[in-house]
Amino acid sequence: MGSHRLGGATLFALSARQVTKRFPGVLANDHVDFDLLPGEVHTLLGENGAGKSTLASVLCGLYKPDEGAVLRNGTQVRLTSPRHGLQNGIAMVHQHFRLVDRFSVAENVVLGHRSLPFRLRASDLEDQVAQVAERFGLPLDPRATVGDLSAGQRQRVEIVKALYQGAEILLLDEPTALLAPPEVEKLFETVRAMTQVGKSVVFVSHKLGEVVDISDRVTVMRDGRVTGSVARGEADTRKLAELMVGRDIDLSPRRSQVPARETLLQLDKVGLTKDGIERIANVSLSVRAGEIVGIAGVSGNGQRELAEIVAGLQAPTSGEILISGARVNGMGTRHVRKAGLAYVPEDRLGTGLAPSLSIVDNLVLTRDRGFLVDRKSALAEAEAFIQQLEIKTPHAHTATRKLSGGNSQKVLLAREIFAAGEDSRVLVVCSPTRGLDVGAVEAVHKLLDEARSAGKAVLLISEDLDEVLTLADKVLVLYRGSVVHEVAGTEVDVEAVGLAMAGLS
Amino acid sequence: MIIGNFRIELEPRLTSPKWLYAAVPAGSLVFAFIVGGVFLALTGHSPIGTYSSLISHGYTSTKGITNTLGLATPLICTGLAAAFAFRMNLFNIGEEGQMYLGMIGSAWAGIALAGHMPHVLAVLTVLIVGAAAGALWVLLPAVLRAKLGTSEIVSTLLLNYVALNLVNYFIFGSRGFFRDPTTSFPQGRGVEETARFHSFGNSNTYPTVIIAVLLAVALYWFMKRSNFGYETSVFADSPNTARYAGMNSTKLTLSVLLFSGALAGLAGAMYVVGPAGKVDPGLLQIGLGYAGIVVAALARYNFVAVVLTAILFAGLRVGGASLQISSNPVPIAIAVVLQGSVLLFALGGEIFRRNRLRIRRVQQVSVAS
Repeated sequence: MGSHRLGGATLFALSARQVTKRFPGVLANDHVDFDLLPGEVHTLLGENGAGKSTLASVLCGLYKPDEGAVLRNGTQVRLTSPRHGLQNGIAMVHQHFRLVDRFSVAENVVLGHRSLPFRLRASDLEDQVAQVAERFGLPLDPRATVGDLSAGQRQRVEIVKALYQGAEILLLDEPTALLAPPEVEKLFETVRAMTQVGKSVVFVSHKLGEVVDISDRVTVMRDGRVTGSVARGEADTRKLAELMVGRDIDLSPRRSQVPARETLLQLDKVGLTKDGIERIANVSLSVRAGEIVGIAGVSGNGQRELAEIVAGLQAPTSGEILISGARVNGMGTRHVRKAGLAYVPEDRLGTGLAPSLSIVDNLVLTRDRGFLVDRKSALAEAEAFIQQLEIKTPHAHTATRKLSGGNSQKVLLAREIFAAGEDSRVLVVCSPTRGLDVGAVEAVHKLLDEARSAGKAVLLISEDLDEVLTLADKVLVLYRGSVVHEVAGTEVDVEAVGLAMAGLS
Repeated sequence: MIIGNFRIELEPRLTSPKWLYAAVPAGSLVFAFIVGGVFLALTGHSPIGTYSSLISHGYTSTKGITNTLGLATPLICTGLAAAFAFRMNLFNIGEEGQMYLGMIGSAWAGIALAGHMPHVLAVLTVLIVGAAAGALWVLLPAVLRAKLGTSEIVSTLLLNYVALNLVNYFIFGSRGFFRDPTTSFPQGRGVEETARFHSFGNSNTYPTVIIAVLLAVALYWFMKRSNFGYETSVFADSPNTARYAGMNSTKLTLSVLLFSGALAGLAGAMYVVGPAGKVDPGLLQIGLGYAGIVVAALARYNFVAVVLTAILFAGLRVGGASLQISSNPVPIAIAVVLQGSVLLFALGGEIFRRNRLRIRRVQQVSVAS
């Protein structure tokens, strides 16, 4: 991509100079330098808490730096608010969209725009919005209600909004987290259309995925500092992971080492119809002892319902569920647990764990408790887990919400894999690494692999395709509540799986 | 906030040290007294003199402390009732009405059942029937909440007015069972002598105060150790987690609300076996049910702290009331101002428990680009 040169020096579209930002107890940014060229795609890579989102927030005007400066086209700017950032052509699309669900696309796009005429003509606005959308290859119906749109479409609304308001620099926070592979491809086309007219894009990401592949430059952060900045083609995934985590990381595929044995979990033509809508349609699958069956799919295609049906939280409206050969459907979660099922829900804090309760109390959650709760043995158990799994916590009585995502997930997995005991042989796990650091991902994958080696039947339901491909011995794709694709883990054709996830097979 | 060269900021604390849990309420109390002192000075009273008289009449004199403990007894119960429900995010604000029903129920038992019973059994029966009546009064809101999700705040509050009018009807509006038939003066029919406790010495403190304190300690232990306490804490923290673990939310909601109602009913029953001995409309005037909510909030829903807070509050009332009859009478409103300020400062003080106040010199940032 072209760099604009003035008087021999490179003129950066946006720079951070020695930016320092402190929060209570945390040095989020420690003298950070960052440079963005016009027309560049630049990824800001780092684990959770590395300080990348803080830096992005400083760059877009949401936070004021404690020290250091932000430069726009070589001149220092003191951004006082995101609106002020936008006046300087800098916009950020947050991971959690900030749109009004009841408004139309066009209304959302023009919302907050200062120079609107007193009398708004919907058709004029819609035309303007459609024009911007078309120019950057963002298919959108300006009249659609935002509440009805998918995550990918909402993201487009956010991008169109930024472009409509004159953004030259777009900061995208975890932009691919909610997208199916074809939608990601669509996003990249938009990004290319933007860079062709000299606009710059910053991806903020904790994943070594696609965004890194299309970036001209990757800047890696760790513990509030920049640990490296590499141009395209200069470093491979492994090297970037090491820069992120500070040690060598093994994210290579893990497969079953022993042949799978008897079937422990079986679903036979399971269906769920709720409010007249078919959520799960005719799903049949089986998981054997010593294997991981992975279910891939874009969020909202029935994963949650499927997991809840298996875990006994919802009763299927048709079909049979068998655990170790015994029929369990519609018997409730306590019964299903007794039959040998452990369940790690997608929502760690708030479903799997009670956030304000301690690690000890959360281990007690799925036990038979009797009249008085025995916390002595739970405390011993908690301390053993903290040591074995290297759970970082002040002590066993710390509330789980005070732990990092990776550490709280370790508590949950420890309870569901180890504390559940020998009789618990089926493990259902949903999106176990969502939002986790690379280091924590490695630890979680290792635990799931151990559960498999210990002879458990593991059903892994994940929106993260890489995760499914890394762990699963068998891969199923869920689309609109049906299994539309099934393939052995070693014979996966990634493109075919991606198409199936988008419903195009 | 920036004043001159200084920037004043509140910085969230990562952890609150233990001593702050005691220091913040104590500090709140001091500030409340300072504010009350300003009011006293403005109205021409000596703050020091008034406070020493208040403390003596409310706490340190024998008569003061026994009066205070007497008033605190039902207040502890309504405070426990509120704390018990609020801990599970069930906002039962009908303690007032449940307490009236406790009074009616226990008076009925004291008149109809207690006649042929030995003393201890009679008192026990009266207390239990009063508690049951309080629970019954919250049954409808509890069922609506558990089954349909109807807001218990509105339904329990509205039932307070029904209960209030029920008491008025029994005493002033009709010549029924609860009205004293021996006189034309409208007052309640006295319960059997066996159904009443004698006060300690010649004071206004009754043995019920021991029951109330023991109850608080027992509840503290029970909710900390038992499975029921554990399940309510999970449910209060995260209903989804409770569902995930297969807990029965309907059962939990019902039992918590009914038990809360029973505790409030017990407050009314203690009034009957203690000072009143009948259905006494005087209870309608002192708002012990609503005060129980305030006590529970100040105690941060801790059952043992409820006892101390209830005694503190009762003392302010007793002491405040006696100031009216001193040589330079202080209006009762000052005591009310003091109570209000204690509450206000205690709630405001929470900020200082969760945050740290920092005053920094403003630095000018200069950077070479």
